[in-house]
Order: sequence, then C-alpha cells, then structure tokens
Amino acid sequence: MGSGISGLVDHEKLTSNNGPFETGLGDLPESCIALVLTHLDPTEICKIGRVNRTFRQASLTDLVWELKLPENYQILVKKYHLDKNLWSNSSEESRRLTKKELYARLCRPHHFGSSNNKVFWMEKDRGICVCVSWKEMKITGIEDRRYWSHISSDESRFSTIAFLKQIWWVEVEGDLEFEFPAGNYSLFFRLQLGKTSRRLGRRICTVDQVHGWNIKPVQFQLSTSNGQEATTKYYLNEPGQWIHYHVGDFVVDKYSSMPTKLKFSMTQIDCTHTKGGLCLDSLLILPTEIGPKKSRLTS
Amino acid sequence: MASSSKTEQKKMLILKSSEEEEFEIEESIAVQSGTIKNMVEDDFTLIPLPNVDTETLIKIIKYMKKHGEKTKSNEKDIEEFDKEFVKKSFTELKELVLAANYLHITSLIDLLCQAFADRIKNKSVKAIREIFGIPNDFTPEEEAEVYEQHKWAHEEGKEHIDHSAY
Repeated sequence: MGSGISGLVDHEKLTSNNGPFETGLGDLPESCIALVLTHLDPTEICKIGRVNRTFRQASLTDLVWELKLPENYQILVKKYHLDKNLWSNSSEESRRLTKKELYARLCRPHHFGSSNNKVFWMEKDRGICVCVSWKEMKITGIEDRRYWSHISSDESRFSTIAFLKQIWWVEVEGDLEFEFPAGNYSLFFRLQLGKTSRRLGRRICTVDQVHGWNIKPVQFQLSTSNGQEATTKYYLNEPGQWIHYHVGDFVVDKYSSMPTKLKFSMTQIDCTHTKGGLCLDSLLILPTEIGPKKSRLTS
Repeated sequence: MASSSKTEQKKMLILKSSEEEEFEIEESIAVQSGTIKNMVEDDFTLIPLPNVDTETLIKIIKYMKKHGEKTKSNEKDIEEFDKEFVKKSFTELKELVLAANYLHITSLIDLLCQAFADRIKNKSVKAIREIFGIPNDFTPEEEAEVYEQHKWAHEEGKEHIDHSAY
C-alpha cells in the first residue's frame, strides 16, 4: 500500500472556530490532523483523541490505523476470524470493522490450534508474538508419571505446566506453522528450575528436586522450512524463576505469501546422569526488537 | 538545469499569492506540487494561489528550490535544511501545513506533520489544549466515553509484558 496521503485535500472542512484561539492545531482540518497522527504511536493517538471532537474524529480514521497494522493483517483477520461480529450470530452480516477496531482486536490474545494450545497477539506497534504451550509439543515420557507430571499453574498463559521429576532422556520437540508478518523474530523456551507453590499468598519455589543441569548443557535447536537454522547450548543454573532461553532468530521475508514453518527442540540425552526438577511452560516467539534481553550462555 | 533536448527547457512559471504578489519559479521545481502540476498540464503559466499568503509562499518556494536540487551527494545537506526549516512557531507551521496540503507537496506535508507530532508527543491532553489553545468541546458524557475507549491502549499492552516478565 502506498503512502496514501494524496487525495486528502479538504478545504471545505476548515473548522470555523474564530474564537480567541489562533495558534497551532486548533483550526487545522481533520484530514491534516489525521496526517499528523500517522506519525504517533497508538497510545499517543488514543490520547490525542481526547483533546476535542475534531481530534477524536481524526484519531478514528482508517488511514491512521491501517499504517499501524501488520502488513499481512488481512490474512490474519481472515484466517483467525478476527472480524467476527461478537454480538450477533451471523458473521456474514457483520458490520465492517474500522481499522482501529481491527488493531484493538489484534492486540488481544487469540488462541488457535485444534486444542487452543497456541496463542498469538500483537505487541506494541506492529509486532506479532506467538506462544505455544508444552501440550502441543512431543515430549518423551510425558505420559509416564514417574518422569513428568502436569501441574496447573497461574504462571502460565495456558494455566498448566509440565514438571519433570527425574529422567535420563529429555527430548522435547515441536513445530509451528504461522503467518508471521515480515521481520526478524527470536525464539525462546520458557523454563524454570524448581516447582512453584503458594503458601499464605506468598510464592515459594521448591528446588530440592533440581539436579543434573550443570553437568552437561541442554541443546536447543530451531529450523525453518526455508533453511534457516540455529543451535545453542545452555547450562540451566538459575533456580526459582522463569527464564526465557534464547534458542535463535529467524527472518520472515517480505513477499512470502506462504506461512512460516518452524521446527524447534530441546534435548539433553546424555545417559550418564539423570536430571530433574524442571518446569516446562511454553515456547515464545517475539519480534527481535522487543524480545527479553536475558539469555543464558554456556559457561 | 543543463540544456536538454526536451521541448520544455527551463520553462518558468509565475506563482501568485493571495496578496497578489508574483514569484517566478522554474516549472521543473514547481511541479513538486501536485496541484501546480495539474494546472501546468492544463496549460497554465500564471498560477494563482488564493489560499497561500506571501510569507508562506516564500517559504514554500524556498523548500521546493532546495528539494528540487536533490542529488545523491547532498542528502545530508537537505536533512540539515529540513531540520532548520521546521524550527518555526506553531502559527507558521500551521500556515505551512495548510498550504502544503493545498499544494499537494507530499514530502513537505510529511516533514511538517512529523514536526507537529514531535511537539505533541508525551504531552498530556490538558497541556496540548493549553499550548494550542484548543477548547474542550466534549460533553462530560462524551469525555468519559472517549476515556474508556482510550484505556484499552494501555491495558492490552501491559497484560502481555507482565506475563513474560515472570
């Protein structure tokens, strides 16, 4: 889409407040104000809409908000039914949403996948983020209560985490197909050493089962269907808090109309020692610029 | 402009401000304005601009002349010019943006809007009203409604940041 600025000349719309106020923005036409707003971020735009009626109208125009949407927003809206009219049963009859409404909807988390174990949302200006629950991953021994148990948790987007008691063979694999808008993305595994519980409202983390993570590192891998790959190794050694382990980055090209296909994994299969006491929550993918800065490097 | 084999060589136009003052300008430079370009295509050489006063027209001509001589080598120079160009009072900027809008000079509209945006960024609603002398024409009910609609912009963002901070 081009800059879309031409065609907005609107001489007739000059507001005629010939009051005592002469300076600045007061008597600019709504179209001009809308142009100014395209240079502001969404929070600012909403704030400016509170100044007066003209500003409010300007802050609602599609022109302003279309520029804030990810460039493949139409694909996302269609595939995940974001334009469904929430108040009536017939989605065919739904009034067309304004771009601002679409923007607001994209900012909310949308669960998808056969069991809703994946979620996406838009963060800040135009970045799409995806989170995949452990439930969507293939985990060796996950059904065996000797090794892994499933715990409800309010510290997970999906309300449940997988806890590893003890095992020789840690192997977690997964894949994802998603329509990421063009850009650079970082991929993280969200893990915690130690089991959290609440006692008298306070968060307590029990670490007595944590063992085996400082002997050999865990290997994390990422690969895309178009040949991008990343491998990292970390010793896990900060018990008591959730940490995002940075696996690697990938790039989504501008003109690809196909969804991005990823494979990711986490393994520690050295059978000379057992490991345990690990909580596995999810995989997180964020635009690189807004990713958590923490990453754990091998010592 | 060096002599070319084209038929229009250094064709001059006359721009006339709302105060009837006339300014000569090369056509090749003046057509940075979409409005003027259209009029030229309709064979005008004297372009009346009843919406633009003399002072503003002078500044616009200065802008177009500078940007008309844009080459690969003087990009930095033009950047500096642009930076200085927007160091003006609100009233002047307002007159300029109205004129640039009327004249359809895309790059100038962009430059001026960015300048305005930079000045209203990070200011409270009240401060913006005071600085620009904009009266609040909302009824109390409307004002409350707009505030409610505004809240999502903050709350949506926060929810996700907190989660990943665990």
